[in-house]
Amino acid sequence: MRVLLAASALLAAAPTSAFAVDYLSADQAAKLMFPDADAFESRTVALDAEQLQRLEASGVRGRSANWPVRVAKHSGATLGFIVVDEVIGKVELITYAVAISMDGTIKQIEILSYRESHGFEIRLPAWRKQFVGKGASSPLRVGDDIANISGATLSCTHVTDGARRIVAVVALARRAGALT
Amino acid sequence: MSVAAPAQWQRRARPLLGTLVEIGLKVDATARAHRIEDAFNVICHVQACLSRFEPDSDITRFHKLPRGASLKMRPDTVEVLTAASELRQATDAIFDISVGTSPHGWCIDGDTLVKHDDAVRLDLGGIGKGYAVDCAVRSLLTSGATAGWVNAGGDLRAFGDVDLPVHLRNEDSGGLKPFASLRDGAMATSVLDCESRERGGTGHKPGPKREHVSVAAPLCLWADALTKVVAATGDRDGPLLARYGALAWRH
Repeated sequence: MRVLLAASALLAAAPTSAFAVDYLSADQAAKLMFPDADAFESRTVALDAEQLQRLEASGVRGRSANWPVRVAKHSGATLGFIVVDEVIGKVELITYAVAISMDGTIKQIEILSYRESHGFEIRLPAWRKQFVGKGASSPLRVGDDIANISGATLSCTHVTDGARRIVAVVALARRAGALT
Repeated sequence: MSVAAPAQWQRRARPLLGTLVEIGLKVDATARAHRIEDAFNVICHVQACLSRFEPDSDITRFHKLPRGASLKMRPDTVEVLTAASELRQATDAIFDISVGTSPHGWCIDGDTLVKHDDAVRLDLGGIGKGYAVDCAVRSLLTSGATAGWVNAGGDLRAFGDVDLPVHLRNEDSGGLKPFASLRDGAMATSVLDCESRERGGTGHKPGPKREHVSVAAPLCLWADALTKVVAATGDRDGPLLARYGALAWRH
């Protein structure tokens, strides 16, 4: 084991920085989670007011009326569904993809990107907007490419809550015949 | 700004263990696509054994036992509870996986876990993540990976030919600062208890700024568990740390 500490004077004086990692693109995640798929069809699930109400009644906040869904196919048969979503935590913005099996359960969740702010910007739309459409080559990485964060443990409750919401939306859309 | 020849690292992250778990691997001639997948599966398996939220975990089964009854633990649970038992003894129950419900309400005998008190509830949040990180690293090494890291929400371990830059998050206002470079070892960070900060007598006054403890150790299980001990006692120079080859910092 070898640990080299940053000089404490440096630590005190160093400006706080932001942090960003891109793990996978949505396409890469879809292929990874459904390796047998030979095609992914894009659909948009549009929830009407009544469906949104039903979601709320089941304890799930609908949040958005329109959900882009990828349908994983193999020789025309449906293997499952992938939904990409974004959640905001205390200091972090996380983009993630949820794969849902034909039995309606979560098959896998993959983080696509992780952005950590200085803290205050996280609620600013302008800060979040700068990442829209950014690929794996986007900058804003701090120091070395492979930097890791330690600190009091980050909770991923908002990701798991988001995944639960996606399960409910996909179930609703399938019942309504929107994802055949 | 351009980087001439960036080192090639494959990184993936998943929500596991109640946090985000990141695995990074050096992409080299020995790279195999399934390595990261296998390491995530190992973490899922550890979670299934140890989490009090998993219906079939050893911990959930233990909670359902009446006083005086016992159960056979799975090998992962044996390893973690053996370490927890050792630390309970060494710290006079300051390290307490019952989180105050009944520190001596459980004991182990080989692979048997015995319940002594109906009130005892076990929570391996202070040691399980570190253990899961070690298991994932073991899986990566066994599969022939040459360098990389596993980071379970800040409990992290680096292995092989990499000096991993570690940054600390400012929990109050956000933002990161460079803290250390870690090679072939593990590191974990916790918030120092206010009480121990007051006892510490090092000139730190309780105030709005939180104080943190980071512990480095060869294994992540010990880094994770010992941060809890140092956070509770404020003592970073005790013989306990030396026993596990650990170093601690308050910051």
